[in-house]
Amino acid sequence: MTMTANPTNETSAPRNINISQAVAEGLRLAMEADDRVVVIGEDVATQGGVFGSTRGLLKAFGPERVLDTPISEMAFTGMAVGLAMDGYRPVIEIMFVDFIGVCLEQVYNAVAKIPYMSGGKVDMPVVIKTAGGSIGAAAQHSQTLWGLFGHLPGLRVVAPSNPYDSKGMMAAAVASDDPVVFIEHKGLLLERAQDFEFGANVPREAYDVPLDKAAVVRPGSDLTLVTLSGSVRHALTAADAAILSGVDVEVIDLRSIVPIDWETIGTSLAKTRALLVVDEDYLGYGLSGELITGAIERFGLGSLDYVGRHGNPGIPVPAALSLEREIVPGTESILNAIVRAGAER
Amino acid sequence: MNNPELWRDRYRLMVLMRRFEEACLTGVASREIHGELHTAIGQEAIAAALAENIREGDALASTHRNHLHAIAKGIPLYPLMAEIFEKETGLCGGFGGHMHLFDKERRFSTTGIVGASLPVALGHAYAAKLRGDDTVAFAVIGDGSVNAGGFHETMNMASVLGLALVVVIENNEWAISVPFSAASSTAKLAERAVAYAIPGERVDGLDVDATSQAIGRAVAHARSTGPALVEAMCYRFRGHYEGDLDLYRSQSEKTDRTTTKDPVVLLRAQLRDGGMLDEATLERLESQVSAEIDAVLAQVRADKQPDRSRAHDHVFASGLKGAVA
Repeated sequence: MTMTANPTNETSAPRNINISQAVAEGLRLAMEADDRVVVIGEDVATQGGVFGSTRGLLKAFGPERVLDTPISEMAFTGMAVGLAMDGYRPVIEIMFVDFIGVCLEQVYNAVAKIPYMSGGKVDMPVVIKTAGGSIGAAAQHSQTLWGLFGHLPGLRVVAPSNPYDSKGMMAAAVASDDPVVFIEHKGLLLERAQDFEFGANVPREAYDVPLDKAAVVRPGSDLTLVTLSGSVRHALTAADAAILSGVDVEVIDLRSIVPIDWETIGTSLAKTRALLVVDEDYLGYGLSGELITGAIERFGLGSLDYVGRHGNPGIPVPAALSLEREIVPGTESILNAIVRAGAER
Repeated sequence: MNNPELWRDRYRLMVLMRRFEEACLTGVASREIHGELHTAIGQEAIAAALAENIREGDALASTHRNHLHAIAKGIPLYPLMAEIFEKETGLCGGFGGHMHLFDKERRFSTTGIVGASLPVALGHAYAAKLRGDDTVAFAVIGDGSVNAGGFHETMNMASVLGLALVVVIENNEWAISVPFSAASSTAKLAERAVAYAIPGERVDGLDVDATSQAIGRAVAHARSTGPALVEAMCYRFRGHYEGDLDLYRSQSEKTDRTTTKDPVVLLRAQLRDGGMLDEATLERLESQVSAEIDAVLAQVRADKQPDRSRAHDHVFASGLKGAVA
């Protein structure tokens, strides 16, 4: 996409902004650059989204391109299908990823499959923008679910961990001719700009962050810790603490669930020969199994001295924070997993 | 009936639709067509009425029972039949098959999921509003889909937004094995329109002229005001799919309906008895249509299935091969 700084800005120096501002800015620039982009969902217009990640769009683009819908996910998700067939580039917001059940049919039978079923003649440049993550909101409002989308062929699935990536990946998602499930993290959306230790400086102008590239956010030599989204910050804190235990951890922010950036992971594993996956999602049949099995398939059993995973063991997210902390990866539990990995090598 | 050409064209189209699906039936018997083939034999008058009311630029989202709607939308017969026969020359290169027909330029799509075409048509209708043009989006659905949540969501949103959406319900009285009378809380589906503050009317779907006029009224309302609903009564002549043992309804009901309520037979008698077309003209027209369909069928049968090496194509527009592949 074209990169044009807003000419009214006196400076394009990066600023500290939070994730919801970054996402809204990515959307605004994409909508300015391409009038086929429309944003549709519950409370996205007047309210600017319950997390503020569509704030300002209504004022800039009007109520037709930024459409407040009734609580009718099935209808407005299918609406995106018809709009995409007519040449538009819809961004639909499913407020919480937990609500995907009521419209998953349109997501995996239409959005994800029509490019294939049509023999490549109909693209689905749809962004399904949603928020995951465990934030003490209990079993129906604290899931991440990227493994669910990753299982369904035809969907790119991404989950950024910081403001810089959020803006650039939203721009790339809107520009993509593939359908993209863009999973923000509820906990990160609620963080203040100054609380981000990396990726908090966001340029004013438009830029892309590729949808298929992982980032090494902390170099290390002993253990490759692959994680994403809200767990990256916890993994970084745990990795810093693990030095005291004599384990030098390389932290990879996966950023993209589909596709997985095997090149970055492979380069790291060649150095560390040890893989720990930290996944806020349910472990069973999910991303952690995909990463470990995929690494073994690609790099060989003999290339690894250790594999391990740490995540939600397959339990609905409980309401009480004491219970949530028991099953959702946090700094302390990730550190324990790192130390275990160090001991088992 | 003072327009002989109109009536001849109507009859010709309905015979062509019937012959087209009969040709498809041979593909099931010969095992060239796999999966669940759903024909709309007995529902030709509704599709012919649709054809009269759809402009080239209008959108149509159809169902699993979709072949006649594709013909009504002007999809050329050869790539249409080739797709149904799973050939590389098909509309979608053989990737879609008979339940999944797509023609982006003609704004035509289908779905194999009951009720799922409604939200897609809603999207086409919203696109028309964004563009500011006067095209109409048609959703054609069966009576089974009106009890799915997507029907309610779509009707409500279309009405709230005042979109140019025409919903045509082909009420063929059966949702697989469950009769309409056991599935609907309302005696008519047309009366559900009241809940969405839109016009709804029930029409005899065996009567091409009455159905065309009803759809015409709905289209006029859609272009000027907002959504409208037409419920066209008909009967599903075949089982739900080819191979369905169809033991859930009585043979006497089927025999009665298929012998006395066949829209093609009814129209033929009407035209001949009314002195519109004589027997020789009707026979000549029928044999012309048969020859046309036979030629398409022969051409399709000579075509190849797509090469198996292409199975990995088209998952993503970008060429991305997916997480595991």
